[in-house]
Amino acid sequence: MRARLRTNAGAIWLRGLVLWLLLLGLLTASLLAAYHLKAPWAPAVNFGLAATQAALVALLFMRLDRANDLVRLAAVCGLFWLAILFALTLTDTLSRLANT
Amino acid sequence: MGNFLLPLMIGARNLAFPKLNLISWYLNMAGGLLTLAAVLAGGIDTGWTFYVPYSTVFSNTFVTLAVLGVFVSGFSTIATGVNFIATVHYLRVPGMTWFRLPLFVWSMYTTSLIFVLATPVLALTLVLVIAERSFNLSIFDPARGGDPILFQHLFWFYSHPAVYIMILPAMGVISEVITCYARRRIFGYSFMVYALVAIAVIGFFTWGHHMFTSGMSPFAALVFSFLSFIVAVPSAIKVFNWTATLYRGQIGFESSMLYALGFLGLFTMGGLTGLFLASVPIDVHVQDTYFVVAHFHYIMVDASVSAYFAGLHFWWPKVTGRMYPESWARFAALLMFFGFNLTFFPQFIAGYLGMPRRYYTYPPEFQVWNVLSSSGAAVLAVAYLMPLGYLTWSLFYGTRALNDPWNASGLEWRTTSPPPRENFFGNPEVLGSPYDYHPKSAAPAEDDRIAEQGALT
Amino acid sequence: MLFFGALFLLYTVLRLKHATDFATAARDTNIVYGTLNTALLLTSGLTAAIAAQASEREGLRRLTLICLTATFLLGLAFLSVKGLEYHEDIEKHLVPGPHFALKAPATQLFVGFYWLSTSVHAIHLSIGIGLIVRLVWCEWRAPGFLLASPQLEVGTLYWGFVDMVWIFLYPMLYLDGRGA
Repeated sequence: MRARLRTNAGAIWLRGLVLWLLLLGLLTASLLAAYHLKAPWAPAVNFGLAATQAALVALLFMRLDRANDLVRLAAVCGLFWLAILFALTLTDTLSRLANT
Repeated sequence: MGNFLLPLMIGARNLAFPKLNLISWYLNMAGGLLTLAAVLAGGIDTGWTFYVPYSTVFSNTFVTLAVLGVFVSGFSTIATGVNFIATVHYLRVPGMTWFRLPLFVWSMYTTSLIFVLATPVLALTLVLVIAERSFNLSIFDPARGGDPILFQHLFWFYSHPAVYIMILPAMGVISEVITCYARRRIFGYSFMVYALVAIAVIGFFTWGHHMFTSGMSPFAALVFSFLSFIVAVPSAIKVFNWTATLYRGQIGFESSMLYALGFLGLFTMGGLTGLFLASVPIDVHVQDTYFVVAHFHYIMVDASVSAYFAGLHFWWPKVTGRMYPESWARFAALLMFFGFNLTFFPQFIAGYLGMPRRYYTYPPEFQVWNVLSSSGAAVLAVAYLMPLGYLTWSLFYGTRALNDPWNASGLEWRTTSPPPRENFFGNPEVLGSPYDYHPKSAAPAEDDRIAEQGALT
Repeated sequence: MLFFGALFLLYTVLRLKHATDFATAARDTNIVYGTLNTALLLTSGLTAAIAAQASEREGLRRLTLICLTATFLLGLAFLSVKGLEYHEDIEKHLVPGPHFALKAPATQLFVGFYWLSTSVHAIHLSIGIGLIVRLVWCEWRAPGFLLASPQLEVGTLYWGFVDMVWIFLYPMLYLDGRGA
């Protein structure tokens, strides 16, 4: 968080707009996939696209790529714990669904 | 205790976000008042666990108000957790490296990690309960396709780590007390740290053991049972290390030490009975009986509360600047140990024989155990009230305490009792590792307690 | 992260249990409003990020202010579209309760989840809007406040997070069941 004059407003806009177009492109892709992809794994594609968008936002809009290690560790920990919540709860839900 | 001691132990002036600390206090009060209002208005009949669908569909009591109170105080918890984590990361005095931190600081740090990770899930669960009650949604209503067991998953994801919130600081206190009164370095400092972290982390994976009889799938029960066995390992490591710390020590039997020694034995008992409960077949037999009640009281009362009293007495001179009367304190500690066992050991037996919990009455064959337990409770009540008496007395009439009445290690003893507003005059220096009671690998040192202040045996 | 994550877990479990009914109910969400809102929020994420980066450099005060203003205006636009969408949902009786429009019982679960998750998201978005407005106002009163300001960094990070939540909510609520 130092005041740098290294890059000017133009460079900031350029990076931002490229990323924004990428995100809108992914949004369009997910819309198309929803309507035209008829495989059983279609939801996975949509959520995968969403996860990609989220990763881009986290990394580049929220500057996680430039953050110090502690911040990145905090973010990863959050994801890890969420994964635990999902994984262990789903052992119950999925096995009960399989048993019915 | 964490609020007071954490900055002192790392040499800081204050916590990282003092205003957040104040907000946290007000939130806690607000949440508490809301819950109190619910109780005064008539209370709730769902039990503290708010199991659905009773609490969301059928109960006619003040569930929403009580849940709202808990929701608000959850934010207080998260704020404190953030505060503690930031403080330990950024406000350590130069020289205080991570592996020189007192174990109490480590325990508060790991507890704060749990605060921050578990409480939001509880917050959501409570929101879901309020939403379902107020807007007649059907998330947990099995008649309309919902899943009540999902509520239990979400609820216990927080509530199991919540019990680790209660035990980790207690473990930290015990580490401080045992090292001081045995005049020994802690045995295996790094493993004590790893054990604290492991308990905090693995504790998050074990929540399903509260749900073995809920209708959860047997496969999931197996997974949770296995994980619950694993979480006992770091606790056991800590117990072994504390015992090893006592070896070749100059053990003094001051009141704090009495509480700590009681902790060691009874925590072991409580922990071992936890292993019984982790095993699914046994749990199916004793679930919702007094066996479970006895197990968690052994941990909560004996471990957390004993450790709390140990810490209260240990740091009382530091906080208030007064010494308390030692003989009264020792008597109270012994009385508590005796009363506690009399209260809760019969409950193990009653539970194993089949006495259920949460019933307002019991069949006559359990009468002996109940009578024993109640008489123990009376003894315990006296033992709890005694500190209230003599500690208050000491505020007015106790001897003034030195900076360091126990000749202890730790930065908090390097300042006055009570400390000044900025915690230290000047900047404290960290000279070596914690628990520097004797050179490494040395024989027990000469007993260097201060006769007038700390008692000698 | 864990608060909304647990909400997503709720969705996952319920959808696994009632896959077809969820698909049926999801078809009744308004894809135009949903996609529009997603685009609005992604754009606001852009302006928030630019504001954050601009604030770290000298001489870009006007850019920072413009972008912050754009951010909260886009947020308000999102809320307006959401309001229109809610209005339409109420007209179509897509509200859980006695006059619910769809037949299968589990569709009520989906719609209940829809209302719950979008309102919780909207509450968080409103908080975000409030934070951004406050930042702009502080800068008007005390120029230079926003330069390398930790408050702005935290505010825009919060905005990015609310954006991320919606990125996941969108496929959950709007893209299900469109294939058939």
